[in-house]
Amino acid sequence: MSSERRTIDSPLANAPLTQATPPTQGEAPSFSYDPVALMPEVKVVKMGGQSIMDRGRQAIFPILDELTAAKDRHQLLLCCGGGTRARHIYAIASELELPTGLLAALGSYVPRQNARMLQMLLARHGGIFILHDDFEKLPLYFRLGCIPIMTGMPPFGYWEKPTENGRIPQHRTDAGVFLSAEVLGVKRAIFIKDEDGLFTDDPKKNPNASHIPNIGARELIRRDLADLVLERVVIEYLARARFCHELQIVNGLKPGMVTRALEGENVGTIIYKD
Amino acid sequence: MTKRNDLVTGDGRTHIASPLMRESLVDRRTVATTASSHEYRILPDVTLVGLGGHSIFDRGKEVLVPLVDELIEIRKHHKVVLGVGGGTRVRHTVAIALDVGLPTGGIAQLVGAMEEVNAVVLNALLAKHGSVLMYRDHFWELPLYLEGGMLPIVISIPPYHFWEPPPENGPLPAHGSDFGLFMHAEVLGMDRIVFVKDEDGLYDSDPKSNEHARFIPHISLDELLANMPSDLILDRQLFEAWRTARHVRKVQIVNGLRQGELTRALAGEPCGTVIEK
Repeated sequence: MSSERRTIDSPLANAPLTQATPPTQGEAPSFSYDPVALMPEVKVVKMGGQSIMDRGRQAIFPILDELTAAKDRHQLLLCCGGGTRARHIYAIASELELPTGLLAALGSYVPRQNARMLQMLLARHGGIFILHDDFEKLPLYFRLGCIPIMTGMPPFGYWEKPTENGRIPQHRTDAGVFLSAEVLGVKRAIFIKDEDGLFTDDPKKNPNASHIPNIGARELIRRDLADLVLERVVIEYLARARFCHELQIVNGLKPGMVTRALEGENVGTIIYKD
Repeated sequence: MTKRNDLVTGDGRTHIASPLMRESLVDRRTVATTASSHEYRILPDVTLVGLGGHSIFDRGKEVLVPLVDELIEIRKHHKVVLGVGGGTRVRHTVAIALDVGLPTGGIAQLVGAMEEVNAVVLNALLAKHGSVLMYRDHFWELPLYLEGGMLPIVISIPPYHFWEPPPENGPLPAHGSDFGLFMHAEVLGMDRIVFVKDEDGLYDSDPKSNEHARFIPHISLDELLANMPSDLILDRQLFEAWRTARHVRKVQIVNGLRQGELTRALAGEPCGTVIEK
């Protein structure tokens, strides 16, 4: 057959895009890549699901007070975790031996509910519920003084990769929060949980677990802990991120910690790109 | 699940009783409790066919029309879901996006549009034979289309968009249309995928730039993973995902420039390259 590909001339027109070393790093069509930070001033903040939302008013209200007090000083993008309802549906779907991609799609409903709850509570302070498709409207929301609130889940859904040795999706709300910060060009993502940060084991179960105030991503991967305070993929991605180089975990149950984190203080645990 | 409708309190949180209650979903020991050797197949007996964007679509009428004719016949005998890549317009998009310095997630957000354009064209050609363009929100209408004898054309790029993970090397998004179609097949429990490209299949290097490239008619996934060619005809992430996948057994790559190859592949013949898990 004599047919020809009708290509548009560009440095990538005839380069395979699947090379182990992509064109911009290899010798082939070489051009520089100088990425732009889109909205580096935004504070990307995650509200824990099981750790905060499932505690109800007692835990949520003081945190919302701190967030609304800071909202005129900072552009806040609030992302929600899932919690026990997500665990419940994961347990049922796992028992039915359904695929990981389906679990990821099911798991996306709960953080969205939580985001809607926070929107209602923050409505009088400019809380606005947004979907993934509204992400490009963030400049408008901030310009208007709003607090955009969204799910922490990334939109992978049915396209979530199968998990090795289990069915729980690897990309959940921590991953979505990190990836939101990364694409916006934000240096530090803040995770509000019910612990002071990272410990050597689950502090709720092991009273001898000791607190780790800061640690590098590679070092953390090297330690190969059975349990972690954030999803594993996030630590992996941190090690090769271009913009988001710090993850801060703070205890939202301790008054003032969220405010201090928003002001840039190194409270809780900082996991950094090393 | 032993108990239903049980709310558990006492530690400041309100839990629903379930085996994962209170557990850290990051804990390997917890995750391992959700493992099992079997997995439910949601839509078996369907074959996914992916047409190359750069390799097939960009060649236009001369290649597309015979393939469309083949697909019309194939649909009479097989349940098929069709996808198409983006091709040269994706490359052009990426080249400009890299030049202006968009972040990886920003590039991933852009590229899907060019594939959708190709899917619209394909749908226009096949509409009178019962094709239907399936938008992502219509995911669960797939059984309706397939049982009704239709030929669904799905969006091949996965919905990673702004949330594309940082690539291991370089700034290009790693989750492309081959990977997206693979995941589409895997999550629904399909057994095989046929990719239609402009080469006979897999080579140990790019046959377009290396005339000594060696053709690989048959290979197992393990063999391939142990010795990955530096140039690949499919997305690297496809093989990464396939490693932990449970349903897809066979990925076949056939030459769409040779009339009848796609039909033979659907009939189960070992033409092109067959990769088996």
